[in-house]
Amino acid sequence: MDILQNLGQGFSQLMHFTPLLMIILGVIIGIMVGVLPGLSPSIGVALMLPATFGMDPMSALVLLTSVYLSSNYGGSITAIAINTPGTPGAVATTFDGYELTKQGKPLYALMTSLTASTVGGLVGTVILILFSIPLAKLALSFESYEYFALGVFGMTIISSLAGDNPAKGFISSILGLLLVTIGFDTQLPFSRFNLGVSNLADGIEFIPALIGLFALGEIFYSIENFKILRKEKSAKKTILKRKSLPLNKLWKLKNLMLRSSVIGTLVGVIPGAGGTIATFIAYNNAKNTSKNPNKFGKGSLEGVAAPEAANNGSVGGALVPLLTLGIPGSASTAVLIGALMIHKLNPGPQLFEKEPGIVYGLFISLFIANIVMLGIGLLGNKLWVKIIAAPKKLLYPIIIALSFIGSYFIQNSLFDVGTCIAFGLLGWMLKRAGFPTAPVILGLILGKMIEENLRLSLVKGDLIEFVTRPGSLIILLLAVFSFFLPYIKKHLAKRKQ
Amino acid sequence: MKKYWFVAGILLIGYLVLIAFLYLDVSDGKSYPNKPIVIVVHSKPGSAIDLMSRKIAELAGKYGKTAFVVENHPGTQGIVAMQYVMDRDADGYTLLGVTKSFISTLIVNKSNVSISDFTFLANMISDPEAIITNKKSGLNTIDDIIKQADELNGAQVWVGPGTGSRDHLMAMKTWKTLGIKAHWVDYKSGPQSILAMLRNEAPVYVGNPAETIGKRDLKILAIASANRLESLPEVPTFRENGYNLVESMWRGFAFKRGTPESAVKYLSGILEKISEDPEWITYCKDVFSFPEYVGPHIFSKRVKVETTETIQYLKNAGLLNSYIKKAILPLWLMGLIFAVLIFSILFWVFRFDFTRINFNIILSSIFLWISVFFFYQTMLFSIPEGLNIISPALIPRIWSVGLFIAVIWNIINEWKGKNKPVKVGNYKLTGKIIMLLLIYFVAISYIGYYLSTPLFLISAMYVLKYRKWPLMIINALGFVLFSYLVFDILLKIELPLGSLL
Repeated sequence: MDILQNLGQGFSQLMHFTPLLMIILGVIIGIMVGVLPGLSPSIGVALMLPATFGMDPMSALVLLTSVYLSSNYGGSITAIAINTPGTPGAVATTFDGYELTKQGKPLYALMTSLTASTVGGLVGTVILILFSIPLAKLALSFESYEYFALGVFGMTIISSLAGDNPAKGFISSILGLLLVTIGFDTQLPFSRFNLGVSNLADGIEFIPALIGLFALGEIFYSIENFKILRKEKSAKKTILKRKSLPLNKLWKLKNLMLRSSVIGTLVGVIPGAGGTIATFIAYNNAKNTSKNPNKFGKGSLEGVAAPEAANNGSVGGALVPLLTLGIPGSASTAVLIGALMIHKLNPGPQLFEKEPGIVYGLFISLFIANIVMLGIGLLGNKLWVKIIAAPKKLLYPIIIALSFIGSYFIQNSLFDVGTCIAFGLLGWMLKRAGFPTAPVILGLILGKMIEENLRLSLVKGDLIEFVTRPGSLIILLLAVFSFFLPYIKKHLAKRKQ
Repeated sequence: MKKYWFVAGILLIGYLVLIAFLYLDVSDGKSYPNKPIVIVVHSKPGSAIDLMSRKIAELAGKYGKTAFVVENHPGTQGIVAMQYVMDRDADGYTLLGVTKSFISTLIVNKSNVSISDFTFLANMISDPEAIITNKKSGLNTIDDIIKQADELNGAQVWVGPGTGSRDHLMAMKTWKTLGIKAHWVDYKSGPQSILAMLRNEAPVYVGNPAETIGKRDLKILAIASANRLESLPEVPTFRENGYNLVESMWRGFAFKRGTPESAVKYLSGILEKISEDPEWITYCKDVFSFPEYVGPHIFSKRVKVETTETIQYLKNAGLLNSYIKKAILPLWLMGLIFAVLIFSILFWVFRFDFTRINFNIILSSIFLWISVFFFYQTMLFSIPEGLNIISPALIPRIWSVGLFIAVIWNIINEWKGKNKPVKVGNYKLTGKIIMLLLIYFVAISYIGYYLSTPLFLISAMYVLKYRKWPLMIINALGFVLFSYLVFDILLKIELPLGSLL
């Protein structure tokens, strides 16, 4: 079939020194980008863009996609180590990843995250190669009604995060939803709730808020409950001595990883949806289908595997609309489109016809990049564990300084550093009073998608359309189901007793 | 231990060298330009103006004495980038990528920045506005659009990104020129608007030719330029059809007003040389635009004319009104009143038993205040009639009410004793760290990152009862040197040097 011929062309384009070197370079850079809080995958890809100007198109494309792919994995490293997602897609990884670190098992979390990311990447690539055309139809079928429903679906994860206290869970999530309405209205050139502060005209900058809430909030809370030095020394020895994760534990996660990868890829196909919302849906699905749902949030390996498989799977998904429709599936793919155009390759269905070698070379490079990422990740883990084992008194001040830089560098703005500090204080207050902090970020991430699309839908049609359209109906039903499932389960469990 | 002191010493020397390098003005005596020139781009990477600026940066390296570096400062459709340039010195090292949409953005957002705050250097490229349709819509010519618009009597839908944006204004201008009435629906972004077109949701999309490339279903009905594009010779212009409609998204560069004449001359010279470079001309063709060089004098005049025209269109569309009513009492006073009310009710409900009013309750009351304050602010919104939108007050009100209910629920839970008690630890220690952190924050803006960071790091470690001095110094200085390498050199982000020095 044509595919074999195209693969052959792909091989011939890819199998040269420069493209292969670019894969390795891209993976390393991508991991570093992911690790640094404040650098998201799209910024990483953008930073590498000028470096590709002199290269041949294959090498350029391969470098950028390798950075894109591995930065999604890299974010989990800091998420696990210091409760700070290095990328927004690693937010869900903090829920269980950091818990495992607190229990002295960071290596377990790192291994699970690496494996899940690799599986996610590979599955995403396979789906991309085999199902681009039908998936492109999926991308086209999503209108504002479906986007609204997807946003609501993403929010349902709060029922998993709120634990026993739904009131507090609601408070945290609505707080996030409300805070994100600060800034530009979605339909009028009108800035809301900015209290006259010009820096707030465009709203709260998301990444400083994320870093503040997770990194600083955790540091403040942790210092308040600081254990004494002696315990630290013994903890260090335990971490360094502990052997690697027994492989049979990883093997048990294989079905979950596959399923989460598929979820990630499908959500990634939807332009504008992105890896982050995929991680929330995957996490919730993992908890709802798990045999040990109560372990989630307390150091469950499943809680690390699901979101990581999903966010790497979303990379393959985001490439579907780029290659089939010429539309960016995510912020990073928007930069990739720019890169393609600079190299005189026009993204869209014509690319398959005119340059099959480049397209299939890209597919093959994705496979190779995932394997390279696995290898480099394994080497890296040894380094990360040593850093994690360092005394907190050394680490905390440095994390604070890094948080400042990460917040500053988005817009060269000290106001953003202030935002980071403010959210750090908020995170501390929330933790002290027993409120979950993650739903605030959820609200910040999904609030715009929900409001924009609700209002656009109401302009185009009526409320009834949400249930008459099959797409939004299915997603809304899934949302309702996934939200209430934990409570139904609890109820049934109580009955059994 | 001795080994550590030795390493600390080496790092100290490295650090002092860095400080000297950063703060002693080595550039004295060297003429302009003696360091890289930054091109500020108002969008995220990958956009049209971003790619153009990167191309210019690459070409300018050929003609200029120093390198050009692109920095992205996205936000508020350009206001953030413009504000950034205004905050810098007018020393010729900060170049702003400007585009026609800035004119409407500044007016619509009632920003303190005004278009006359900039010295326009040159326009480089002209990306014509285009009327695009889906082939399935059955519309093939401008006359088809007019016919359908008349049949639908004002209900014909035109889509595009933004309200009051360049594309929206183009739509209004086109309706006026063609003598039709139609309806604008804002799809927020270019890609989403294109998706709407691919779904054949509406007959017309206002965009640029480059957006249709590779999309077989889309067809450009007409472009608003003087002549046909070389790269798209089959696409007609409005002019050939008898409609004098010329409208483009021009892109060029500007300095902050007050930049020395020598810098202005230097940069205009480079831009003029680039405009004649065959590599640049090929680039313009490849992105389906016209290479259009316009020198500083004519450029400034043109901007003035377009500003007047834009204000007119925006006024007619009712987009220049203020959206917030003037309240009787100032916002801060209302906030104070709400706070007093809420806390009084709270204390009364708990019968002034302060042992029961724990941290959870106080925090909940703050959230209560937030919900009330937000709701109050939505009542000050004053939205003009007749616009095809959903009120900006709707969603925030839903969230405020939801928050209010959730907080009351939580307080009731607390009253009933259902909540777990708050763990109180060594909050004084956290408080000390926060104080240090705030001092560090303030210090950065006065004495810069490189001087305040080691001080902060060492004092924070000390407060956390770490006393191994050589390691503290190694950590602190090592981190600062590392951040210089990674951020300043690799990522080309200038960490602040402080305003006092």
